[in-house]
Amino acid sequence: MLGRGLKRKLSDYEENMAGLSSAFDSSRSLSYPLKRQLVLNMCLTKLQTYKMLVEPNLHRSVLIANTVRQIQEEMRQESSQQPVNICPGIAAASHTYTGMESPGISLQLPSGVGQQEAHCCDLRSVEDPIENSLLIVSDDDMSSAISSILKDLDFVEDISPPTCLVPTGDDQPKFPENTGLKLEDDRQDLKGAECVFGSFEISNSTSYLKDLAIDDIFEDIDTSMYDSDFCCPPLMPPRSPSLATEEPLKTFPSCNSSSANNIQICRTDLSELDHIMEILVGS
Amino acid sequence: ADIISTVEFNYTGDLLATGDKGGRVVIFQREQETKSRPLSRGEYNVYSTFQSHEPEFDYLKSLEIEEKINKIRWLPQQNAAHFLLSTNDKTIKLWKISERDKRAEGYNLKDEDGRLREPFRVTELRVPTLKPMDLMVEASPRRTFANAHTYHINSISVNSDYATYLSADDLRINLWHLEVTNRSFNIVDIKPANMEELTEVITAADWHWFHVELCVLSAVFEEPEDPSSRSFFSEIISSISDVKFSHSGRYMMTRDYLSVKVWDLNMENRPVETYQVQHPSVPRVPCVPVAMSNTCPCPQVHEYLRSKLCSLYENDCIFDKFECCWNGSDSTIMTGSYNNFFRTFEREAQRDVTLEASRESSKPRAVLKPRKVCTSGKRKKDEITVDSLDFNKKILHTAWHPMENIIAVAATNNLYLFQEKVN
Repeated sequence: MLGRGLKRKLSDYEENMAGLSSAFDSSRSLSYPLKRQLVLNMCLTKLQTYKMLVEPNLHRSVLIANTVRQIQEEMRQESSQQPVNICPGIAAASHTYTGMESPGISLQLPSGVGQQEAHCCDLRSVEDPIENSLLIVSDDDMSSAISSILKDLDFVEDISPPTCLVPTGDDQPKFPENTGLKLEDDRQDLKGAECVFGSFEISNSTSYLKDLAIDDIFEDIDTSMYDSDFCCPPLMPPRSPSLATEEPLKTFPSCNSSSANNIQICRTDLSELDHIMEILVGS
Repeated sequence: ADIISTVEFNYTGDLLATGDKGGRVVIFQREQETKSRPLSRGEYNVYSTFQSHEPEFDYLKSLEIEEKINKIRWLPQQNAAHFLLSTNDKTIKLWKISERDKRAEGYNLKDEDGRLREPFRVTELRVPTLKPMDLMVEASPRRTFANAHTYHINSISVNSDYATYLSADDLRINLWHLEVTNRSFNIVDIKPANMEELTEVITAADWHWFHVELCVLSAVFEEPEDPSSRSFFSEIISSISDVKFSHSGRYMMTRDYLSVKVWDLNMENRPVETYQVQHPSVPRVPCVPVAMSNTCPCPQVHEYLRSKLCSLYENDCIFDKFECCWNGSDSTIMTGSYNNFFRTFEREAQRDVTLEASRESSKPRAVLKPRKVCTSGKRKKDEITVDSLDFNKKILHTAWHPMENIIAVAATNNLYLFQEKVN
């Protein structure tokens, strides 16, 4: 059930994204922050989709994570340079939609957006519907999205790892590969933020079992069949079939239902069964 | 027919191997020119077909391992048999392909149909003789190199000593000896201690065939870019999908999403520097892309796609991994594109051409017509607009005969072979 609902959402999403991405490609008038927001949303949605896969593609996940990091850096630099938001349109949108919690993107694209006529003089009219439809993503959201997909890619190692070629006199332990970074300091901050989220996620899952009482775990298992005295357990008849025993067994209804009628039938059949057993056992 | 996932000529060009998504390898052999069939020279016919890999299930991780063949590499021929390495995501296999065209007849202890003869019927001893039979090509697995890669294998490359080879997955490169299957040496490891810091992956690796110590790995590539062309997708489109050393060993070619770049390695007879084949850190080659000429920038394969990057990102086409290849003399390079187009670039002459691999345009003996993609609004006759390109028809795998101008182009599940027309 969850799968079906999710699929429908994704296909709606795909249609809308196709419209948005062609708007991105064709329209020159989309503002830079808006384009960036659009790309960011696409990245995060992709990362989310990959997380649902059994085996996410490492290469693609890393590329998308890098793109998100790049956008994140840009946004941080902008916010540190200018305390006031650059695009008032975006700020307005964020006020309106702070209540939005679901990560999915439900869009209502007006029909005029993708066409050439749309990007005439009035920029506002083009941007507003797109703005309204884009989810405002926080810095922490981005970090946690990156860290969660990358952690998923950390497979359990094989039991017998390959022999390491002994390097000539080099005894240093492995260091993470960090070249290609522009801002080392921010990196540490980012790592800190990610670690916070990383540990948050881990502790959340391990304490889950400790918090629940044993009974709560099994709450949703239906044990009514075993609780009731009146309901007959499904009996296996003895292997020597005699005509006398077969007939009542054929009329033997299943006792899973808890309706009154069935209980009645169960009762009478029980006594008959006892009777039959007495005959068979010869007591 | 299944989707072709790799194409590779052997060292003489007489054999062409293809691997497909179903784990099968099909080898084509070039017909020898004979007096009776002068036109058949250059035709490739099926020589051998075998199932190289089967789908597997990893019970520990609950994952299915695809049987798709990611790469095939031939070994140089040392005796009558041919050897090749084929790999899927996790396991590499060494296959021996041998011919049998004679069979022994006249056994003493058994009949022609294999039944044992009654001992008292054996009245004389005879030596079995070899009689010709219809050619039979047998493929047998000789080695299986397994359990050495946690991530998906994307490259294998045979060393010039012909005794060792490397296999690369997303984060590690291992070195193997062809005779030893239960041990491999990890020579490159870019997996960070904390996976959250992962920013690059290995996408292709190739041995340099002179300098045994050089091995190239290509990861997400950082290159100083013209700021005006920088976009949100710069990171993704600069990711290298293939790397190939030239036959001469002097140059290296890399393929990213929109272009092919040729790099000069040997400057003034200096030995190749900086790549040490040991972990932990893997330095980058500090070489500069060589322009084809002083004025011409690196050839763009399908620059017209730059205006469509967002849509291509949305439908995942931006992650397509195109391969590239050199011709035998390193004068021309070739790579694939969309709409079943492929492109060749002549380096000296600064000429490039776009061709299409399709049934309609590929009548036998017909000359391929060059195609053109128009980027501006006005479409000329015979031109194709960017919007009408079929992005499902992608040519990812191409191969060039090591000595002659014969090319193999894999278009989804069809293999096309083109030859230079000799007048």
